[in-house]
Amino acid sequence: MAKYVVTGNNVDIGGTDVSASVARAELTITSTEVDVTDFASDGFTEVVGGLKSGSLSLDFHTDFGAGALNTVLTEDLVGTLVTITLIAGNGSTVSATTPSYAGSYLINSLSPVSGAVGDLSTFSVTFPLSGSITKATS
Amino acid sequence: MAKYVVTGNKVSIAGTDVSAGVARAELTITSTEVDVTDFASGGFTEVVGGLKSGSLSLDFHSDFATDGINDVLTEDLVGTLVQIVLIAGNGTAPTDATPSYTANFLVNSLSPVSGAVGDLSTFSVTFPMSGSVAKAVA
Amino acid sequence: MSIAAIRSGIAANLRTISGLRVFEEIPDQVSPPAAIVSLNSIQYHQAFSGGLNIFSFTVRVIVGRAAERQAQRYLDLYSEPTGDSSCKSAIESNRTLSGACQDLIVESMPNIGSITVNESDYLAAEFVVTVYA
Repeated sequence: MAKYVVTGNNVDIGGTDVSASVARAELTITSTEVDVTDFASDGFTEVVGGLKSGSLSLDFHTDFGAGALNTVLTEDLVGTLVTITLIAGNGSTVSATTPSYAGSYLINSLSPVSGAVGDLSTFSVTFPLSGSITKATS
Repeated sequence: MAKYVVTGNKVSIAGTDVSAGVARAELTITSTEVDVTDFASGGFTEVVGGLKSGSLSLDFHSDFATDGINDVLTEDLVGTLVQIVLIAGNGTAPTDATPSYTANFLVNSLSPVSGAVGDLSTFSVTFPMSGSVAKAVA
Repeated sequence: MSIAAIRSGIAANLRTISGLRVFEEIPDQVSPPAAIVSLNSIQYHQAFSGGLNIFSFTVRVIVGRAAERQAQRYLDLYSEPTGDSSCKSAIESNRTLSGACQDLIVESMPNIGSITVNESDYLAAEFVVTVYA
């Protein structure tokens, strides 16, 4: 058994590792709930899964340096689909205990200017998944 | 009478005991409210129970090791029904004081990647119940 | 998993720092630079079936007499986030402590100051280590 403290999940956007600018990453895969209750359901509702979808929430540290986050996630990408690959379990390479999840996400929001005086400049996004997620363990 | 502090409720998902990866479990069974107020109701509303339903909320510690929660609750289960058995009262087997509750739940959401840097990786779910729940005391 | 095994594992990781004497219990005499591993607190019942307890250890690194400039230079080296003398790097070099825990993290180094040992004042830093086991 190996629970883990998040220190180094890997985040790759469009082929560029941006992990050093990420403070939090959360991938959620969901299914809709379709009601199939009928007269034989014995007084309880019955459901099956419907369409699946997903979302990826990321907390970023703003960085305009060469090759850094804001030169990778640029404003012209807003409204386009980008491939983002995550490696969980603090992994840098893919294995059974550090699986990767690759998906195509809609860049629906960016905040290139953010932060109050005195604070580190940060911004958070939640990108909806388009299509399926591909998991790899090797 | 024996009130109890939760230290070891048992959670089994599809036959695998995942209790060591669970920090919180809450099973809620509900009924809709059907209004049957009529002119003989004495000026008060009257109700009867309608269809019953349920939900199971769980807080997990992420774990990709063999038999860890992420090895049991895999992404391909999203959108499918899974049998989950709970034993309340810190029990390991069903008795009057530690009853078990067995039902099918729709895996409608999973978060295989979660957590901010420095925090233990955790995720929470709320699965809707499909059909009835079976309680056992032996 | 036992407290003794965790303490021993943290000490073993610290012994990878050349020149640093490491103690698993408070010694009668201190010969700096020295690190002492102490259990601070435990949070029990963090998961069902005893699946998780959270241990907080304090690693006190005593670098030398408070007035010595060399002591302050040692402190900088031991406090670095990375490097051959980094306490954080050394403690996190084997995060499962070879099976004694599930994971650990050096949270912070919140205190630098003087401590008195055998009527002598030494400069010391405290590292907070959180162990999940």
